[in-house]
Amino acid sequence: MVALNVNGKSYDVNVDPETPLLWVLRDTIGLTGTKYGCGIAQCGACTVHLDGEAMRACIVPVSEAANRKITTIEGLAENGVLSKVQQVWLDHDVPQCGYCQSGMIMAATALLKSTPKPTDEDINAAMTNICRCGTYQQVRAAIHAAAKA
Amino acid sequence: MRDEPETDLALMKFGIGQPVPRSEDPKLLRGEGRYTDDISLSGQAYAVMVRSRHAHATIRGIDSTEARAMPGVLGVYTQADLEAAGFGPLKCPIAFPNRDGTPMKTPPRPALARDKVRFVGEAVAFIVAETAAQARDAAEAVIFDVEELPAVTDPVAALAPGAPQVHADAPGNLVLDYHYGDADAVNAAFARAAHVTRLEIVSNRVVVNAMEPRAAIGSYDPDTQRWTLHVGCQGVFGLRASLAKDVLNVPPDKVHVLTGNVGGSFGMKAPVYPEYPCLLFAARALGRPVKWTDERSESFVSDHHGRDHQRIAELALDAEGNFLAVRLTGYGNAGAFIYPPLPATINAVKNVVDVYRTPAIEVNSKIVFTNTTPIAAYRGAGRPEGNYYMERLIDTAAREMGIDRVELRRRNHIAPQAMPWKAPSGMLYDSGDFTGVLDDALKAADWQGFDKRRQESRARGRLRGRGIGSYLEVTAPPSKEMGGIRFEADGTVTMISGTLDYGQGHASPFAQVLVEKLGIPFDRLRLLQGDSDQLKAGGGTGGSRSALVAGQAFVEASAQVIERGRQIAAHILEAAAADIEFSRGRFTIAGTDRSIGILELAERLRSGMSLPPDVPSSLDVAHVSDNPPSSFPNGCHIAEVEIDPDTGAVDVVRYAMVNDFGTVINPLLVEGQAHGGVVQGIGQALMEHTVFNDEGQPLTGSYMDYALPRAVHAPDFRVQNHPVPCKSNILGIKGCGEAGCAGALPAVMNAVIDALQEHGIRHIDMPATPEKIWRALHEPREETRP
Repeated sequence: MVALNVNGKSYDVNVDPETPLLWVLRDTIGLTGTKYGCGIAQCGACTVHLDGEAMRACIVPVSEAANRKITTIEGLAENGVLSKVQQVWLDHDVPQCGYCQSGMIMAATALLKSTPKPTDEDINAAMTNICRCGTYQQVRAAIHAAAKA
Repeated sequence: MRDEPETDLALMKFGIGQPVPRSEDPKLLRGEGRYTDDISLSGQAYAVMVRSRHAHATIRGIDSTEARAMPGVLGVYTQADLEAAGFGPLKCPIAFPNRDGTPMKTPPRPALARDKVRFVGEAVAFIVAETAAQARDAAEAVIFDVEELPAVTDPVAALAPGAPQVHADAPGNLVLDYHYGDADAVNAAFARAAHVTRLEIVSNRVVVNAMEPRAAIGSYDPDTQRWTLHVGCQGVFGLRASLAKDVLNVPPDKVHVLTGNVGGSFGMKAPVYPEYPCLLFAARALGRPVKWTDERSESFVSDHHGRDHQRIAELALDAEGNFLAVRLTGYGNAGAFIYPPLPATINAVKNVVDVYRTPAIEVNSKIVFTNTTPIAAYRGAGRPEGNYYMERLIDTAAREMGIDRVELRRRNHIAPQAMPWKAPSGMLYDSGDFTGVLDDALKAADWQGFDKRRQESRARGRLRGRGIGSYLEVTAPPSKEMGGIRFEADGTVTMISGTLDYGQGHASPFAQVLVEKLGIPFDRLRLLQGDSDQLKAGGGTGGSRSALVAGQAFVEASAQVIERGRQIAAHILEAAAADIEFSRGRFTIAGTDRSIGILELAERLRSGMSLPPDVPSSLDVAHVSDNPPSSFPNGCHIAEVEIDPDTGAVDVVRYAMVNDFGTVINPLLVEGQAHGGVVQGIGQALMEHTVFNDEGQPLTGSYMDYALPRAVHAPDFRVQNHPVPCKSNILGIKGCGEAGCAGALPAVMNAVIDALQEHGIRHIDMPATPEKIWRALHEPREETRP
């Protein structure tokens, strides 16, 4: 049994402790907003926060996430109000297919926490998530807008 | 009650041409999208495919004894099981004639390899188990007795005498000897040309890499004997038809295809893949739903790949630089099975004409089987290559003849006053202002300021180049499309379309059309797609067709709604139908202030009012439109690159594009499509490369080996529209989905060559990787082909 705190809620999950956090979130807890893209931490679709820091959940064994504060895309909005980053994503029409955007938004949220006024170079260095729809220009514009907000 | 909004204001905010935000975004960015793997059905079991590790081998036997005995395993199945159950193979729906008139080879594809495997990743068997992990473990335990055969991956090698034979009924591996054009006229033009430019040129094979891996859930209802498939695809109506006819041999109404959110496709998720029949088979055999989700390493080999053409491209010019003829000769790699649209055939023909007045064209393509993943559609599906070859030829000819590349293009543009213009591809161009588009692009790119920027780059030790990529695309050929409009009990209005949004964002622009035509408030309009039970027709989304065809279908459907509404309103308002006018959402007796709004009218109908028998009882229509002809989106992209001669690395540092997409329903979405197409073009031009070794093993099968463009590779694009409304469809739309790739491939590569030309480099093939450029700069000249 592994004790998890996800988006402020406690879960006791009966899984192999080596199971990647991604699959526990999706298949055991049923939070499907976090996506599988590659399983080797290269694409960023599965990005979540562990104690506020962006992590790629496909390579984090669930045992390492025990007793830490896990935040997923479903945990960003508070009382139904979009987070600042979600709101600028909406304002800038960022998503296309939307599949990578949970990870993008989680990565951008973490970036803005560590670097409140990022330059284009900061963004390009931090936002290594793959978006096959090519939304990168809107991602940068949205992050700059969030930094100004 | 006036149920309409202040309609002028509504049209200003939500009508055609307005930048209305996408209505699906609030869900997507809360993580509430429903992609296929996000769906779970009660009692579902899990399938894992057992895939070939060999590129080419005879199957002598499959031993699944151990796998069957493993925990949780419910079944291990092979092609013999599918055939015993009456499942048919996957079929290729297209057939071009060979040059000599004989039919092309279209061997059907068994869902699971039966006698031999033909590429690494081909499915041979599948496991169904209680959990995906149990199925995966069992897949490892299936033992194949195979006899390995020599493999061939290159189309030229595959045509050579003695090459390994991929299919027994396609001797010499030739699928199709495709020919288009007037060879005599083209030969004559080349014979009298003052100058001939010739390039050996490649369109590199790419892995499509939709971020959502393919996934599906099959289920079966024994009471109704009906199959249901949840699957990410590009059009449920066509997929249902293929499954019912080819695979299941049942009437289409026995199959229900449902598609939720789709995490990208770019052409790739369109066809029936082998996994889908397998899931339907297992669902019936086991009496429970069966779910399957690909892993990325499997996606790399089991998703159809794109591009992979080799060409000799030739352009004949007279002494003044007028184009006399263009000829493409070469090969298209088919992979191990045939899928539409055979990109190296008709789409290359249509697009190589581009925006120029070339009187004669000829395209010769040998389409060849190899032991590789099948090649199918990828954003443009042969269209970007047509433009790429032409634009590369033009820049090369300009250098060789000492004519300015801008002037050479201008000299050969088809003039607006020449429209309609019959292209040598057989297409009739309806409209276009190609010189105007080029001029706008030169301004947007600050063409005049380049020398200063080049000096500045040089001061930092960088080579700088600029490249023009003009394009003209021919969108998908006409097919039938549904435009349904249904007035719901809750006061919303459902738009039913057989197109399928897999990331484009159809809901807002389709609603904008109905705001404009029916005056229905934007927030009352809902898009229903991805449910085959709701459709009477549907061509799906592909070939940059959806805004054009769905727009046409919804405009026609709106006219039918209005006609019905006039008759009903006449009854309610006690007037003659001929006296009822419709404007901005209201039916009015002409010359009076007596009127009723369309939604109020729908509500009155729902409340059960009695109507004479000759008056329609509902406003709902399920219209099927005969689609208008292909349109001709065009544009001019200008890229500037910087190259570090010490590393060979290329940066795209500036990028401007001016596009003529005709009428733009929603500029926000169109700009996003342009960004995405260009990013994918930059990927193919600079980094994406699919490599097989001599044994047919893929060497680029993960994100550690296969480079994809990320934020750092995509500069901020300057995007402008130069709209010339299309004359062959109601809304004047030209289509924008694939255009970005068509402009980006030549713009980026012409810029790379421009930067390198002072070093005597005339040609580099895509992808222009740092290694390739470094070698071209530092190794003896024969490394770059003459």
